[in-house]
Amino acid sequence: MTSYAKALLRTLALACLAGLALGSQAADAARLKVGVTLHPYYSFVANIVGDRADVIPLIDAEANPHGYAPQPADMVRIMSMDVLVVNGIGHDTWAFEILDASGMRNKLKLIYANDGVSLIPVAGASTGEKVVNPHTFISTTAAIQQVYTIARKLGELDAPNASFYRDNARRYALDIRKLRAEFDAKVAGVDLSKFRCATMHSGYDYILQELGLQVTAVIEPRHGVEPTARQLAETIDRIKASKVNVLFAEKYFASKLSDTIRQATGVRMYSISHISSGTYTREKFIDEMRENLNTLAAAINDTAKSGT
Amino acid sequence: MTTAAIQLVRPAGGRYETLALAVATVSVICVLAFYVHERGQGDTREPLYEWQVSAYNVLTGADQAIYNSLYTVKDEIPFIYDDINQANPPGVKFHWPSLKDFQNLLLPPFYQDTSWEQTGSLHWSLYEPLAEGEMQGSTMYLGTDGHLAGQGSFLLVIGHVHAGFTNNNSIVVWWNAKNHVEMPQSGFRDRLILQGWREAVPYSGAQEVKRIFGNDNNQDVVDDEQKQAERVINGVFGDSK
Repeated sequence: MTSYAKALLRTLALACLAGLALGSQAADAARLKVGVTLHPYYSFVANIVGDRADVIPLIDAEANPHGYAPQPADMVRIMSMDVLVVNGIGHDTWAFEILDASGMRNKLKLIYANDGVSLIPVAGASTGEKVVNPHTFISTTAAIQQVYTIARKLGELDAPNASFYRDNARRYALDIRKLRAEFDAKVAGVDLSKFRCATMHSGYDYILQELGLQVTAVIEPRHGVEPTARQLAETIDRIKASKVNVLFAEKYFASKLSDTIRQATGVRMYSISHISSGTYTREKFIDEMRENLNTLAAAINDTAKSGT
Repeated sequence: MTTAAIQLVRPAGGRYETLALAVATVSVICVLAFYVHERGQGDTREPLYEWQVSAYNVLTGADQAIYNSLYTVKDEIPFIYDDINQANPPGVKFHWPSLKDFQNLLLPPFYQDTSWEQTGSLHWSLYEPLAEGEMQGSTMYLGTDGHLAGQGSFLLVIGHVHAGFTNNNSIVVWWNAKNHVEMPQSGFRDRLILQGWREAVPYSGAQEVKRIFGNDNNQDVVDDEQKQAERVINGVFGDSK
């Protein structure tokens, strides 16, 4: 081979490499960067987009989303996103502070996951006032509705992958639904007539209602707000009068209050995950909802066995 | 001894002080009232017609749970329709999912599990569309005879514009306060209303976002419910059917 031919081959090889590199950069640029505010939304989006988009949590994994104070690093992260998936109805108000502080308020596209969800009021509230319950993500049906909404809206932003996102959303919805079937296998035929529950806060209303389990009383008058002595006394009276035998408390946020109520009323106490702490993973929502449903099944079976 | 002379001294602007104070007070109240009127959060709930019922405000726990399941199902039915008909050999009539299909897909509120029992064990039946006549183009799923006290009945009506049933494709959830009802003989809205059915409407996340952020929330990836329903059903039927 002549030196001219070698030089020509070398030039062609370099051009191919350069072309590949540019193509890769273009693919990276086209790859959607989807921000999420809460752990469940990380799982939802990760399962919808698979390997065709990046999922970026807005706040650190260990941060408590209840009363979160925005950090400078959040503003850096939000500026790298193409779109942000939010709860938007009261559980991630800090995301809007971060949007304002970073100057992204009117620039970043938002996906309101709850747009298509039929909301319910907080159950068993002591005030009697109807207040919207924002905990739509601790559920199965409302979670599936959000998965569909997110997939559809991501498909609008990323049309070439729209059908891929939709198919993944449908598969994921079936996985979520199978959790209900697993739960049913554990409680089928069990007498639920004596099962009456109260919850420390309103976080579990959606899943309990979907399962046909009604909440008799909620201890906290507002999410994250402890009751006054008078409110607590009234709630304890209500628990006794309604023969509530199970109290669901938050797994990650320990409260002495639940111990006080348990001692005063004799209810059995169980912990349910709010799915809002720990590492962001694709499996987290399914894993923690399975754990929650196992806990609910245990509470139902224990009640049936004890007869009270 | 002299008598002390008493002289009442009035401030120069004394007669105006009360008036000035009253004017200042009224001004402050007016300014605050104007501010609240302009910037305050009004009632953003959309008014309902008499033939509608709010799932959020009126339905009880079990009926609310059934409604919310139906509200999600109506997004899924078109996809299920595609799945069960895609392998149809030529000439085979397209059909809507049967109750057995729903059972296989674990789809609440049709799937008969413990939750179904807890929410009243409604008896579901499917009215398949007729080829001709008033009922052509409508598919209805009726859920009735729940065992809970005060429980109503549900009707999921799928209207198809291609069959001339309605002016637009739609999937609507209806609720009837009666515990037992027969399958309606007509899927038309007015006939249903005359038989005591009311369209059940949600208080949706989109409405709550609007309440919180107002109408100027233009960042959302725009996709209102009507567009969504039309796209989904048009996607199912395509233009040819």
